[in-house]
Amino acid sequence: MFAQVIKAYNEAIFDTDRERALKVIHDAVNKGVSPEAIVFKVVIPAIELMIKSISESFDASLAQHFLTSQVAADVVEEMIPQFKKSPEVVGRVVIGTSQGDFHGLGKRIVIGCLNALMINVTDLGLNVPPERFVDEAVAHDAQVIGISSMMVHTARGENGCLKVRRILKERGLEGKIKIIVGGAPYRYDGNLYRIVQADSWAEDGITAGKVIAGLIKEARK
Amino acid sequence: MITGMQRLAAAASGKASDRIPVFCNLIDQGAKELGMTLREYYSNGENVAEGQLRMREKYGYDNLWSLFYVGKEAELLGCRKIVFAENGPPNVGEMVIRNYEDIVGLQVPDDIAAHPAFQEPLRCLRILRSEAGGKFPICAYVTASMTLPAILMGMEKWLELLLTGPADVRDILLAKCSDFFRKEITAYRNAGADIFVYSNPFGSTDFLPTKLFAELSLPWMERDLNPVGTQGVVYYCGGARLNPVIDRVLNRLEISAYYLSPMDDISQGKKIIAGRALCAGVINDIPLIDWSRDEIRREVRRMMDDGMPGGKFIFGTLVMPYGIPEKNIRAMLEAAYEFGSYENWA
Repeated sequence: MFAQVIKAYNEAIFDTDRERALKVIHDAVNKGVSPEAIVFKVVIPAIELMIKSISESFDASLAQHFLTSQVAADVVEEMIPQFKKSPEVVGRVVIGTSQGDFHGLGKRIVIGCLNALMINVTDLGLNVPPERFVDEAVAHDAQVIGISSMMVHTARGENGCLKVRRILKERGLEGKIKIIVGGAPYRYDGNLYRIVQADSWAEDGITAGKVIAGLIKEARK
Repeated sequence: MITGMQRLAAAASGKASDRIPVFCNLIDQGAKELGMTLREYYSNGENVAEGQLRMREKYGYDNLWSLFYVGKEAELLGCRKIVFAENGPPNVGEMVIRNYEDIVGLQVPDDIAAHPAFQEPLRCLRILRSEAGGKFPICAYVTASMTLPAILMGMEKWLELLLTGPADVRDILLAKCSDFFRKEITAYRNAGADIFVYSNPFGSTDFLPTKLFAELSLPWMERDLNPVGTQGVVYYCGGARLNPVIDRVLNRLEISAYYLSPMDDISQGKKIIAGRALCAGVINDIPLIDWSRDEIRREVRRMMDDGMPGGKFIFGTLVMPYGIPEKNIRAMLEAAYEFGSYENWA
């Protein structure tokens, strides 16, 4: 029965059918599948399956990424209050788009995945000044700052990642807080994250969750 | 001396001229050329025409653009706020559609040519037409109905509506965007544009699953294009890959030119098109800011090796970021002229 739940959920997600995916989950809960199993054995593996399909150039579109993350976040939000024991927070992240950038889709996909992966995330919104990224990271005790940019000039500009790095350096926070960047310009130039002095980058919002989980571990070492 | 228009006509019919056509999308750089801020530059169609003509003359490529910025289409549909940057393209600063009621209330202008926001592009087109008409193809940028909502309501809201919203509301919006598209392409045609870059990232399987592409993208593309015809239309999906959809688009619509993504394999694209249409190989111009002259030449050479066999090939650029140094623009174009020469190729 459990294998059928996983299969049906994955098929609904790949078909971008939100209602069907939620019905699969609710039917499973009604039949006695635990909320913990729903999250850790259905929803999170579905994200991992999407990552696998991306890396294998399978048919995984932006719409599928979007739906995977949004449904995952919704299901996890619904299931966590029903857990027998509160799950441990894996880490904390602040995320926003770089100054001058008003494109929020990638950020939203990342946030959905982070929520599903039990990573506490603070959304700083669009057009975020570099100082605010650092101030909020400190205020929220975050291990990672996520900076999303859709345009080349907002990715490379003086008020983007480069300045966040400078401020971290000036305040002696580089060991404690890592920077991840993402967005279209980074997909077209795999070396760009180094140029803007980020610690890492992710090709898409879904993969970002996994990369951020790795950075959290690194920051905590 | 051979003109860009002659090169394009030769390539489209599978004949050789001196070299393949080279399309270079220098847009915001016109402001730099005229020593203006981007806000000042885009305030007047004469500036944009002057910028375009000067850059084409300076670098020698084959096309001219009537495009100001993509948000111009949002302005034609009611957007009143464009955010200008110092060193990059202007952005829509206010969403035209904030809720479903706004979709019902969205007004498509009866006559786009008479719209105040179209007057400066019209002025630009008139100058381009009088200075270079018939010699260098004048390009216009027109967004497909499936993609225009992303500019009007943002990508997130559009994806939400598309995937999980009410189908009747989605279709009202798409019908209005399609009506707008038809009027816009007609206005550009009447004003003298030659090439219509039909921009449709949501007409790619990088954006939508194959099933939705077939059920939504293709029928809406037919609704956009069937009444106005595909003369001069170039299929373009932004940076999204075209190869997986080219064959289906070719079979359903008579679009005669395909502007690949830098992520597409050019040889594969040519193979899929199989001489049925013109193919543009597009350089990944994002790393062009940092590449050395040798790296640029290697990449252009590679593209030509992939694209030139069999003809019907042009060289193109993607977004040409504002920060690309002039020497790198020159290095790319010189390599394109050299390796794209039919004589050298032969």
